[in-house]
Amino acid sequence: MATIVYGIWDGSVIDHRNGNGEASSLFPSLAGFGEFNPGNPIRAFFGDRGFLIFDRTVSLIDALRRQLAKAEEQSCGKCTPCRMGTALIGVSLTAMARGEAAPLDLDSIVMLGRQMAETSLCGLGRTTPIALLAALTHFRDEIEREIASGVPCPTQYGMDYMTAPCIEACPSKINVPRYIDYIRDGKPEHSLGVILQKYPMAATCGRVCVRFCEMACRRNLVDEAVGIKILKRYVADHQKGPNALRFSRDLIASFHPTEMRVAVVGGGPAGISCAYHLLLHGYHVDILEAMAEPGGMAAIGIPSYRLPKDVLRSETDIILALGGRFLFNQAMGRDFTIDSLFERGYCSVFLSLGCQQGTPMGVADEDSSALGYETGIGFLLKVHDHIAGTRLTRLCGDVVVVGGGNVAMDCVRSALRMGAERVHLLYRRTREDMPADHEEIEAAEAEGVIVHFLTNPARIIHENGRVVGLDVVSMRQTETDARGRRNVESVPGSERRMECSVLISAIGQQVRKGVLSPSDGIAMTPWGCIEAAPVDLATSRPGVFAGGDCVSGPSTLIHAMAAGLKAARSIDDYLQLGQTRFFPRSRMRQILNEHKLLAADCVELPVRLEYRVHHPELDPEVRRTMFEEVETTISDEDAYREAKRCMRCYRIYSVITEQPIPEGAA
Amino acid sequence: MTDQTVTATLDGRTVTAEAQETILACARRHGVPIPTLCELNDIDHAPATCRVCMVEIESPGRDSAQLVASCNTPVQEGMTIRTRTRRVREAQRLQVELLLADHNQDCATCVRHGNCELQDIAQYVGLHTNRFFDRTRTLGRGIDTSSPAMIRDMTKCIRCQRCVTICRNGQTVDALVVTGTGIDSAVGLHHGLSQKDSTCVTCGQCVMVCPTGALGERDETDTVLDFLFDSEIVTVFQFAPAVRVGFGEEFGLPPGTNVEGRIIGALRRLGADIVLDTNFAADVVVMEESAELLGRLAGKRRPTFTSCCPAWINFAERHYPDLLPMLSSTKSPQQCLGKIAKTYLPERMGIDPARIRVISIMPCTAKKDERVRPQLAENGVSEIDVVLTTREFARLLKRQGIDLRSQEPSVFDNPYMSAYSGAGAIFGTTGGVMEAAVRTMYQIANGRELPQIELSQLRGFDGARTATIEVGGTIGTVKVAMCHGLRPTRDLCEAVRAGTADFDFIEIMACPGGCVDGGGNLRSKKAYLPYALKRRESLFAIDRSTAVRQSHNNPQVQALYRDFLERPYSEKAHHLLHTYYTDRSVEMSLTVKQVWEDITMSTMVY
Ligand SMILES: Cc1cc2nc3c(=O)[nH]c(=O)nc-3n(C[C@H](O)[C@H](O)[C@H](O)COP(=O)(O)OP(=O)(O)OC[C@H]3O[C@@H](n4cnc5c(N)ncnc54)[C@H](O)[C@@H]3O)c2cc1C
Ligand code: SF4
Ligand code: SF4
Ligand code: SF4
Ligand code: SF4
Ligand code: FES
Repeated sequence: MATIVYGIWDGSVIDHRNGNGEASSLFPSLAGFGEFNPGNPIRAFFGDRGFLIFDRTVSLIDALRRQLAKAEEQSCGKCTPCRMGTALIGVSLTAMARGEAAPLDLDSIVMLGRQMAETSLCGLGRTTPIALLAALTHFRDEIEREIASGVPCPTQYGMDYMTAPCIEACPSKINVPRYIDYIRDGKPEHSLGVILQKYPMAATCGRVCVRFCEMACRRNLVDEAVGIKILKRYVADHQKGPNALRFSRDLIASFHPTEMRVAVVGGGPAGISCAYHLLLHGYHVDILEAMAEPGGMAAIGIPSYRLPKDVLRSETDIILALGGRFLFNQAMGRDFTIDSLFERGYCSVFLSLGCQQGTPMGVADEDSSALGYETGIGFLLKVHDHIAGTRLTRLCGDVVVVGGGNVAMDCVRSALRMGAERVHLLYRRTREDMPADHEEIEAAEAEGVIVHFLTNPARIIHENGRVVGLDVVSMRQTETDARGRRNVESVPGSERRMECSVLISAIGQQVRKGVLSPSDGIAMTPWGCIEAAPVDLATSRPGVFAGGDCVSGPSTLIHAMAAGLKAARSIDDYLQLGQTRFFPRSRMRQILNEHKLLAADCVELPVRLEYRVHHPELDPEVRRTMFEEVETTISDEDAYREAKRCMRCYRIYSVITEQPIPEGAA
Repeated sequence: MTDQTVTATLDGRTVTAEAQETILACARRHGVPIPTLCELNDIDHAPATCRVCMVEIESPGRDSAQLVASCNTPVQEGMTIRTRTRRVREAQRLQVELLLADHNQDCATCVRHGNCELQDIAQYVGLHTNRFFDRTRTLGRGIDTSSPAMIRDMTKCIRCQRCVTICRNGQTVDALVVTGTGIDSAVGLHHGLSQKDSTCVTCGQCVMVCPTGALGERDETDTVLDFLFDSEIVTVFQFAPAVRVGFGEEFGLPPGTNVEGRIIGALRRLGADIVLDTNFAADVVVMEESAELLGRLAGKRRPTFTSCCPAWINFAERHYPDLLPMLSSTKSPQQCLGKIAKTYLPERMGIDPARIRVISIMPCTAKKDERVRPQLAENGVSEIDVVLTTREFARLLKRQGIDLRSQEPSVFDNPYMSAYSGAGAIFGTTGGVMEAAVRTMYQIANGRELPQIELSQLRGFDGARTATIEVGGTIGTVKVAMCHGLRPTRDLCEAVRAGTADFDFIEIMACPGGCVDGGGNLRSKKAYLPYALKRRESLFAIDRSTAVRQSHNNPQVQALYRDFLERPYSEKAHHLLHTYYTDRSVEMSLTVKQVWEDITMSTMVY
């Protein structure tokens, strides 16, 4: 483990240059800066709150130059101090690092650095000079010594990484402030371009994403999170009609030979995203899909009032525009195996099978074959077929749905639309504990869903092979568990009966049993998911990668698409190099995460309150009857206004390492 | 949001502020000056980009004072605000010095010299040094000279984005985007188009808000001097209805003063051969447009839009080409005057038309754009030879050493094309074209004059106004609408498109307020259209003082029809005074590849 020789963090100076160099006990969270990649120790770290030097011979001037150069490259140029400060200081540090006379003396650099830190508009300009100013205040002798030596600084290796809380929170690491800025700038097509760098399903994600970015948004500390998802939908929906952004094969820089074929098994979000990136890498990709349409749970699970089918279809069609193929009605385990894929000449396989089988509740007298018993997924598939017109279903009487996630919410809201008289939702914990998006819960209640919190099914009642009701018990909260959630237990004597014509168990999904057999050579986890290495998503079988719900268990669209991107990079590396490469940016994120370096917990200056725009929504009374989309896109004017709320919480982090950092995927 | 007030200390004084009120707004209410540059309150614009308006605050529970931008920081309970400490003054001064570091400060050659908010602020903050300027830092931005109307010199842009706001929120044209990053950041047109090929309608409202010389008209004063000093050339000048009420300020006269006589005198001093009045042509336009409108009403073709505003024509051709069949075919007063001055006038006066050069003085940048429309030239001869904006005209007088303030007033003396009615005079303000047309339509329909000449129901100042007018006689009821500014215009166009608008006649002026606040007027600093109402009042006063109040009673107009055009909308009038419009919508479609190549500052995957 490296020890800090000198540095400053959050205003606390550490100086062991003349002492024994013991690790400072001041910063337990900063311990453990070891190697960046195997055999490549970190010599210094620079961030938004200071810097840490682990190796006495590091050139401070050169390290600061790097940081400023990154800031100059990233400065949006709108505010004066950051635009000019990064440029002017940058020139001088570059000259000093070359051992040449600099246009500015150190006092002028301090003056400009202070102006940047104190008066810049956004996080980039305000935080970049902090390390510089700290160095010039507390370790000026080091810098003066370097200047006095008059020799160029030795070449230093390392990398610089710019991020923001919303970027780090996003599983796909979308550059959120950048795409918001492009809206402000008046370029929604560029904004969409930023999103499309990461995945093709922007309009879909802009409708159904669970918004990790918004939970992390620093604007929460002022008023409300920036409407990141609303804006994503806005830019995606903006691209309509004759002026829409067009995909074409000329995007693909170079094509691999036709033998370089990859099979993607499962055409859900993970598979689509992986295929998209592989196609852009120049591979030939076939998506083998068990159903007759692409989209996975986005197509057959998420109901059309949240995600219209044509929106989804226009995005899965991007695969076709890039030259990919869908092979429908091809189920693994039934029509082919992994062996047969390799025999057919595919060089690599990506498994993105999803979790497509409903999990039983495990209560007394549960019989999944009884009439009136449905799993959430099974029910939503019927809804899907009903809307598609292939198989009609009608509900009547009372419907009971059990569960607290988004699948349960989709079931209750769909059940209303399918004609149920009353729809009850049973959830064993409290409203606060519900994993479903809280906007969804409110929307469901507004449409008339009756929610029973702290209520659990105990037994299912049948008559003539039909579900006619169930016994339920009340629950109460007990001690807090490790994740900070209160446990629950049933209240003795609280049993009561509820009548219903349909009971829907929407408590979870799992990987369909029997799709993979031992002869496929794919190791599974004890809980029935596919085992894949977190760094590169490789399975136990060489050349086979897996990601999305079938690896993680039921998760989210954005996690699935992020897995697709990661797998595409791994497959590219595997096919080109025989092994996957090191991901420097992932490693950087890991460092930030482990040491909790990205402070998102305070807003320094007073900010005017500006509440966020909301999607225009239809009246709940009308809404509950229709499967057409209930929310509409925001106007240009609202989009500009919402985009202005982003505070651009950018920060730059750099490491200086002993060796060059291996070239890996970005 | 709460409606509470908060109490704070401002430079030692206890003040109360509305919740969420900015420090700047609060300071202004209390008469405390804070230097600002990017902010423009009149258009609700505070992007907080220039960072000049810094003040020092101490907040309860914080141990050190902070610098904040006053234009977007709210006053909070218990806050102590200091606007003049040494730290504040030094930060402000350094900020302006940094603003100049990549600003092409060639003041002596700049259109804005002497009237520039950046120069002002440099003086205000007491700037004595200019240590960081390097001209090479301005070169990445470029100068767009493509438009016949305007020059966009981004080497002088300070990135205040006022132009973006006025174009996007004020005019809803949304032609402008932020381009580049770092020192190359500037403002450009959508999809990297040049101004000429873009969706810009050359209304010039962006020029009216730009604090510097980054935006300006194309200066054509030299061409005028060339004409004036060429003895072969007969110079014919015209000036628009609005110019006479929006020009005196430049020479220290009170805003809104009618300087018609002084302008005529000044033009004579310049050496103008013939001085005509655009008001005369406005009367002709009323005759043509009324006749055209009656024909369209008889044929149940409605609505009819006016066509005298070239920025509106550009807007329709660029943004609503499907509405073009609804536009009146009558040319604008400027063009009608030019055409008549090159046909009728030489015939009457016995001059070789080839020697004539028509120079217009207009409160409008779009008139420069209109001048070069291909359908407004015949056999290579344009109707108008140069258009000077009001600003250039001021420059021209100054270049010739003429001070309007001490200029003796003179009067029009051309017996053919300089008399005007009160109806022609009010063309310069919103509702004026409509009012002028109604006065004449009434006479056509009833064979007698409208008893109540001034139509107060048309004279409001809302962006969009409607009225139902009993014209009676052969016409009956006419439903009219008037819009000024392109935001209400866009709303109305959408309604017409959707079939929900029920109007016969619609007057459009692209600039908020109409021509008196057109994009070619004198510029204000830190204010948007501050004299709109004063100028408008002066126009109404001119109308009241004219002997003849209806276009059809203008004796020179009557002579024109009697001796030359026969009657309104005659074959000959149609040939000379009517035009057509073309679909010039801009196709803006990009491929993902193009966008990706253009994206900066985001990690490219490919
Ligand atoms: C009702 C519902 C609502 C949801 N709402 C949201 C939401 O609002 N926001 C959100 O972020 N996430 C939501 N999710 C979760 C999200 O849809 C999933 O996390 C995501 O779709 C997982 O993507 P995937 O590609 O891993 O798997 P899936 O989407 O499940 O796709 C797997 C694909 O593989 C195919 N397949 C399966 N077995 C085989 C086989 N043997 N051979 C060939 N093909 C096969 C399937 O037909 C399917 O097309 C919801 C899920 C459900 C069920
Ligand atoms: S304010 Fe903007 S940059 Fe900051 S976390 Fe929110 S979205 Fe990201
Ligand atoms: S914009 Fe102002 S400061 Fe800049 S050159 Fe022109 S007059 Fe000088
Ligand atoms: S002239 Fe008018 S339309 Fe053109 S950019 Fe300026 S404000 Fe926009
Ligand atoms: S062109 Fe003028 S108004 Fe527009 S951003 Fe630049 S300085 Fe501001
Ligand atoms: S006036 Fe406040 S930042 Fe420009």
